[in-house]
Amino acid sequence: MSSAAPTTSPNSDTDKIMLAARELFCARDERVLFKNLNFDLPQGQVLQVQGSNGSGKTTLMRILCGLNDSYEGSIKWYGQEIEDQAASFFSSLLYIGHRVGVSKVLTPVENLRWSCSLKQAVSDEQIMDALKEVGLRGFEESPCYTLSAGQQQRVSLARLIISPASLWVLDEPFTTLDTKGVAMLEKIMQRQAQAGGAVMVTTHHSLSIAELTILSLG
Amino acid sequence: MWVWFSKLGSPKWFYELSGKWLPWLIAAMVIFMTIGLVWGLVFLPPDYQQGFTSRILIVHVAVAGTSLAFFPLMLVAGTVTLVWRMKLADMVAKHAAILGAWFSFITLATGSLWGSVMWGTWWEWTDSRLVSMLFQLFLLLGVISLRSALEDSETAAKACALLSIVGCINVVIIKYSVEWWNTLHQVASPVSLDPTSPNGPQFWIATLIMIVAVYLFLSVSLILSTRNEILERERRSQWVQDLVLKN
Amino acid sequence: MTEKQTTTSAAFFATLKRDLLIAFKKKNDIVNPFMFFIIVVSLFPIGISPESDRLTEIAAGVIWISVLLASMLSMDNLYRSDYEDGSLEQLLLSPHPLFFLVLAKNISHWLVSGLPVVLVSPLLAYMLALPSEAYGTLVLSLLLGTPIMSLLGSIAVALTVGLGSRGLILAVITLPMSVPILIFGTLAVQSTLNSQSPIGYISLMLVMLSVSVSLAPLASAAALKISVN
Repeated sequence: MSSAAPTTSPNSDTDKIMLAARELFCARDERVLFKNLNFDLPQGQVLQVQGSNGSGKTTLMRILCGLNDSYEGSIKWYGQEIEDQAASFFSSLLYIGHRVGVSKVLTPVENLRWSCSLKQAVSDEQIMDALKEVGLRGFEESPCYTLSAGQQQRVSLARLIISPASLWVLDEPFTTLDTKGVAMLEKIMQRQAQAGGAVMVTTHHSLSIAELTILSLG
Repeated sequence: MWVWFSKLGSPKWFYELSGKWLPWLIAAMVIFMTIGLVWGLVFLPPDYQQGFTSRILIVHVAVAGTSLAFFPLMLVAGTVTLVWRMKLADMVAKHAAILGAWFSFITLATGSLWGSVMWGTWWEWTDSRLVSMLFQLFLLLGVISLRSALEDSETAAKACALLSIVGCINVVIIKYSVEWWNTLHQVASPVSLDPTSPNGPQFWIATLIMIVAVYLFLSVSLILSTRNEILERERRSQWVQDLVLKN
Repeated sequence: MTEKQTTTSAAFFATLKRDLLIAFKKKNDIVNPFMFFIIVVSLFPIGISPESDRLTEIAAGVIWISVLLASMLSMDNLYRSDYEDGSLEQLLLSPHPLFFLVLAKNISHWLVSGLPVVLVSPLLAYMLALPSEAYGTLVLSLLLGTPIMSLLGSIAVALTVGLGSRGLILAVITLPMSVPILIFGTLAVQSTLNSQSPIGYISLMLVMLSVSVSLAPLASAAALKISVN
């Protein structure tokens, strides 16, 4: 991929690029995971990160979120360093990792109340509607340890529906979902892209989303 | 990126530079150590109050003084690790913790050896210096055990750096609070360990030489172990392999 | 992006409320350290002497050391389940200063683990034959000392949260750090017993508490970032 900056009308073009990564390099305990990695994530796009096991997909996702800082290179958010606008970046970011961030002793509603209110104010109606949409109607008040892994995954996916975040970073969100769940998530991701947001996702599924581009690692 | 440059560049630079310094440092160490030990342990006249026991003090005071330098050293190394991500600082910090624990232990050992003669007991809680040295040893052992527990070297580096900074602040608070605690619990004050008690200027000069010798010993051992660490961590880099082939 | 972002105080209280809710749902985490505290204190008279004179002498120290051990035991669940289920990552990705979120977690932890111990301490002081005029000082010193323990312990827990088997490393790191609190806490009680004013020690502990409140959450936050890396 070329790292050339857009030449014509730079302002309007760079405005649309949400996330730009340049010359990313990451080594973990002397093993180089990736180097010279460049990519842009414009608004309205779903970027699927592919690569074999151990190629650094999860590490890349965590680096983009700022959870991992052992890398070299630059990551820019709307053309500026992330550190200079951390509050704006983090309120626009929604990350779901391998560990989905759902406490097992709490109910789905209690979980969402907390994890959403870390970013924006949320009403109980919004939470109920979102849970209904991810197919958890009737489980709103059951403790999450009574739910299956797929259902817990759905609890965390409900955050996608509630949150106004413009950038989603999803690490293997499909693993525990059934076919219906996969179709639902694809639909939500497509909706996000069409609304001008952007999604970065790692998965081995072949996604049926129009706005898809693919980034291959190692 | 200069960050990456400093990460890769420094260990090699340090290895080469320290290689040039090392012979001089070792020579100086041997000279000071010989003068200090021979004079202090063989020729120094016995103290009128403490007799020949005062000779232990020369070693004890020198080692004790040096072991106070470890936490400040680790504070600096830890800050460099966290702020500039310099790997070299972490290598120094790793061995500083281990050496510091040994120095603290030797301080305690020589201190109680001296105490066994002067106070008639190997351990004396009323001496605040021994007590705070004991807790410094515990804190250093905590840093060492944290490093050995953490597998990922980068996480270990940063975690130990943070703990060293917290520990350094803490060791100062411990020192003062133990001193305070001590003044209130002083039931029967034993003979003071304070080296200002009547000792001739000879004693002071011998101690001073010994302090310099021990600091040199500290630098030499720290440099040697850091060089080992560099070779081990950078074993896959080109310059280390060239070095091995050359020898 | 600009949509009704929460204020930091809302995020602070949401975190506080959540942690309290979890604590009340996992009652074992509250009850066990508390029981441990009471049992350890009850072992001392059996191991040392049932004579009230000797008990009076050691009462403050015994209670203080048992408090330190109990708080050590309860520290473990401060970040562990959050780390394991991924909630910690969500916490780190909040746009709000991590300082306040960590502080909220520490406060909630102290409310469920430190405060009950402080409240029950007069009863144990009575059982250890501590003269009643020292109860006030004991409670006050514990009230100031236990939050310091929670704040300091939080740093060590945050540093070791990624370890599979932590075992005693937490105690090895934290207990030496608690020496100053132990000294001032017991000296305060002792000075009341000698009919002197404990105000000096109490104010020193107050200073230590304010310094810990303002610095320790920063260190905990940095430690969490390191561990989650």
